[in-house]
Amino acid sequence: MKKAIHYINQFFAGIGGEELADHKPEIREGLVGPSLALNSVLDGEVTHTIICGDNFMGSNTEEAVKLILGFLEDKEFDIFIAGPAFQAGRYGVACGTIAKAVKEKFNVPVLTSMNEENPGVEMFKKDMHIFKGGKSAAKLRDDVKVMADFANKLLMGEKTGSADEEGFFPRGIRAQVWLENGPIASKRGVDMLIKKLNDEEYISELPIPELDRVEIASPIMDLSKANIALITTGGIVPVNNPDRIQSASATRWGRYDISNDDRLQSGVYKTIHAGFDPAAADADPNVVMPVDAMKAYLKEGKFGKLHKYFYSTVGTGTTQAEAMRMGKEIVEKLREDNVDGVIMTAT
Amino acid sequence: MKLELGNFYVKDVLFGHKTYYKDGILTINKEEAMNFIREDEHIIELDLVIAKPGENTRIVPVKEAVEPRVRPDGRAVFPGVTGDLEMAGMGRLHALKGCSVLGVGMHWGSFGDGLIDMGGEGAKYTLYSQLINICIVANTDEEEERYEQQKKNTAIRMAAHKFAEYLGETVKELEPEEVEVFQLDPVTKRDDDTSKLPSVVLVMQPQSQMEELGYNDLVYGWDMNKYVPSFMNPNEVLDGALISGSFMPSSSKWSTYDFQNFPTIRELYKEHGKSINFLGVIMSNLNVSLEQKKRSALFVAQIAKSLGADGAIVTEEGYGNPDADYILCLAALEDVGVKTVGISNECTGRDGASQPLVTLDVKANALVSTGNVSQLIELPPADKVIGELQALARDGLSGGWAYDEVLGSSVREDGSVIMENNAMFCGDMIAGWSTKTMKEF
Repeated sequence: MKKAIHYINQFFAGIGGEELADHKPEIREGLVGPSLALNSVLDGEVTHTIICGDNFMGSNTEEAVKLILGFLEDKEFDIFIAGPAFQAGRYGVACGTIAKAVKEKFNVPVLTSMNEENPGVEMFKKDMHIFKGGKSAAKLRDDVKVMADFANKLLMGEKTGSADEEGFFPRGIRAQVWLENGPIASKRGVDMLIKKLNDEEYISELPIPELDRVEIASPIMDLSKANIALITTGGIVPVNNPDRIQSASATRWGRYDISNDDRLQSGVYKTIHAGFDPAAADADPNVVMPVDAMKAYLKEGKFGKLHKYFYSTVGTGTTQAEAMRMGKEIVEKLREDNVDGVIMTAT
Repeated sequence: MKLELGNFYVKDVLFGHKTYYKDGILTINKEEAMNFIREDEHIIELDLVIAKPGENTRIVPVKEAVEPRVRPDGRAVFPGVTGDLEMAGMGRLHALKGCSVLGVGMHWGSFGDGLIDMGGEGAKYTLYSQLINICIVANTDEEEERYEQQKKNTAIRMAAHKFAEYLGETVKELEPEEVEVFQLDPVTKRDDDTSKLPSVVLVMQPQSQMEELGYNDLVYGWDMNKYVPSFMNPNEVLDGALISGSFMPSSSKWSTYDFQNFPTIRELYKEHGKSINFLGVIMSNLNVSLEQKKRSALFVAQIAKSLGADGAIVTEEGYGNPDADYILCLAALEDVGVKTVGISNECTGRDGASQPLVTLDVKANALVSTGNVSQLIELPPADKVIGELQALARDGLSGGWAYDEVLGSSVREDGSVIMENNAMFCGDMIAGWSTKTMKEF
């Protein structure tokens, strides 16, 4: 019989609510809470349930992940299922975080379920199958069933369908499929045009997302008085990475005082960006974050003032939503400090 | 303009003592036929091979496909190419249906060449597995391009056009089983019932991106790189005014057979007078520089607007760079108030995660997708190969490779292949036959 391990939070384990959200990870043999429902519809056995407090996972992520991966080292399992997390934000992010780590370490299929409002969807939908779930625990059985149906196909080696057919959030993967006895492209095209001409509903086979274009800013008229700041998505940070910015899929940013530096020294700064070969940037961080050139220009009087901090995060795999949030936070700080212009460097 | 297409449904093709057509059987005197093809002195090695649906046969490198046809009144089937320039699109045309003449390299392939499996798992990837293929398998003296990845393949392609006409001669004097009529009255002289319907144009973007002449699609023998969009009657397309070129990755290509049978034109004809008023074809092209792309989009939008089109279907012979022409054209039409639908394939990468078209525009809000050029395909060995299997790996076919760290060569020692859909001959059937679509996973 195929084996599954299930991840749930402290609330669904019956340990407690908000006041017990710091609950440390534990593993129990057998079924706890939602695992019962899962086990009853799975063509396999849920052998263990992992329980972790949402706050613990949120604020001690590294430790939580390490502990849980440790629990799993000596276990045999064919699939890892987390949640469903419904609309609970921290629970959703926890499910995504641990499922991603399990997939990377043990290379087994991982599934979870969340409501579309859950921020975990945007953060993790490209990394795993996240099924479209209800808003609250009233939908527990339905959500578990949808995940289990898909899990059963995976466990039996059966063919699985598209995101729409199976009910998961599209992962940004598009593949060709043959329409069973389907109309040819010409017929589909002509039918679509007739509907469009008659203002009837139609479904485009390639939906194009709205682009959020930012207007180009007006130029700074007098550079000699301008206060210029440096920002990078190239992951340049002090070597101890004090803000614990992630090497990929970043959700955090940091700012570092360069008022007393003529250049960024190797060994003092480095890159933690996982999307390129770090050798050159570690040997000379100025190739990504050009503090040296800016200080030289400052001495030449090309511009008025170099802002005392540079700002840094990592661009690789970072979702648009997270990037937008971080951008807004950084802009607020820049405004407080009367920064007039920004030079932004990538990798 | 009225075109009568007399159809002869070919059930079998055989070699025999005489070249003739009778009761659905096309018999070819192989020696005479080969002598005819060898009249072009550039053909230095030649064989003629028949491949039938269901056979465990693999054909590669395929350069061109043509439906055998003849005009009983003696005009050329491909005006400006196989004979004098005359207007196409009217009068009588006879066609041998269910078969095609293929131009196949005996040894050498090039970037735009493709593969056809007549049977097994591979057959589903191309329409041409469903046709009886009369394969011209040839080597030429075109030394200047022998080792080039981009080849014009002029001799083999022209041989296919001429030989298709040669075979068409067998039904010149015969009475067809069926006559299809394609007729459009002049745009300003249509009956009220038709004129009241929403007016629709088809915008075609044939491949014409090579600055050097000789690789591109031809319209009445004219290289479409040196061309700006103009208004054409759809019958001209169905009647040999356009022939295919030798450049575009194969799955995104329109062969000459595709032009002769263009399914999107046929589909628009079916709705003409019922739900739409089919005005005709705006024949555009595909370009390299942004200025050229914009110029063509402007021409198309202006012609559509001046004709009073309410709607347009835009379709491109290509992917990648040509997506820019495709999207620009869709947006330019929407900008002048013409409602559009696009028909093309996508390139989402082997993992499916890449942006599907090179450029995107929210104005392109009604698109039909016909496949993914980069889908990986693995196929078992075939019993028989027509052409040379190594061409897929050795000669830079767009979906083949000689070496890959993980996947090895596209052609394995046992004759099995691993390739991208890119090299499936007209595999994405952008002309409109595709029953494939793209879904999110």
